[in-house]
Amino acid sequence: MSTIEESATASATPKVSLRDIFTTFVRISVMSFGGSTAAWTYRAVVEDRKWMDNDAFVAGMTLSQVMPGANPVNVSLYVGQRLRGTIGALVGALGMITPAFAVVLVLAILYTGLSGYPLTHFLLLGIAAAGVGATFSMGAKVAARIERKLIRYVFAIIAFVAVGVLHWPTVPVVLVLVPLSILCAAMEK
Amino acid sequence: MDNILLRLILLFAPLSALSFGGGQTIIADIQHQSVSTYHWLSGQEFADLFAISRVSPGPTTLISTLIGWHLEGIVGAIIATLAMYIPSSTIFVTVTLFWHKSEGTRWRRAIERGLAPVAVGLIFAGAVAVMESMHATALAWITTAISACVVNFTKLNPYILMSAVALVYVAAFYA
Repeated sequence: MSTIEESATASATPKVSLRDIFTTFVRISVMSFGGSTAAWTYRAVVEDRKWMDNDAFVAGMTLSQVMPGANPVNVSLYVGQRLRGTIGALVGALGMITPAFAVVLVLAILYTGLSGYPLTHFLLLGIAAAGVGATFSMGAKVAARIERKLIRYVFAIIAFVAVGVLHWPTVPVVLVLVPLSILCAAMEK
Repeated sequence: MDNILLRLILLFAPLSALSFGGGQTIIADIQHQSVSTYHWLSGQEFADLFAISRVSPGPTTLISTLIGWHLEGIVGAIIATLAMYIPSSTIFVTVTLFWHKSEGTRWRRAIERGLAPVAVGLIFAGAVAVMESMHATALAWITTAISACVVNFTKLNPYILMSAVALVYVAAFYA
């Protein structure tokens, strides 16, 4: 295991090896069923290894969702870049993409043989549902760390309803909500 | 260069750079071009590849890998994957370079505080969207709830969690 034991104070970022970045994202990649990449990355990077704090990760996750590119790849780029610059970003993304690339090809090769069995579909949906559980858990943890201010909760609920309930596209919703939310945060105190 | 490899690059690279909001936003374009414009795949073949990319770990845009593989084998798979991720990744790293340098500044704190609540809303919206897209049954919701509790309150290794879920589902299937 590659857990970093150094005490990571806010000012001194621990020096993380490229190998640790790569192996961490390989592990995340292989278990990121049901869109749970960010959830497992949160656990590995913020909780277990303490490579960055909650706020830095959450901000990076939002950037990852809005900018062009697949969210899991962008999250790995963000973490890798924060730790080791451009080369770290490259290594993080390779760790994220390579296993997923291999798995998707294996599944495609097996697909014709396996898709006839109802068990395949049933099993994959179950694993995806477990992945969604990880996402809910991360959502609860990040929500618990929001400042206790009504206006923060209002923005969270509007974002959820707009994208999750009304199915509005993420990018325009974020482009409207984020500047307003930042403005509110900046005007306080 | 092989004509089809070049076409793969010309299809995926621009879509990559334009995929604001993640992979889902360009799936319709990929479908339209690969099925209707180039006739690389039938509608059913596309649906099959899309189903595989959805149940696989990692991004849904790995469908580009599968289309490349379908057309040109492993070389096609690699070229299509690179075409899908290099443009967006280059943009992302370039833009966030500036962000990473701003750590500790006052405006950066304001941005982080403002982003957090919107992120929370999007996390839950994403979770709900996945459940809807797979037409979640009561069993799926129970699985999600139990898994959420396990991840939240224990340090159980995710592989053990996933394996346990798989075993329970196999048992439930044959029960």
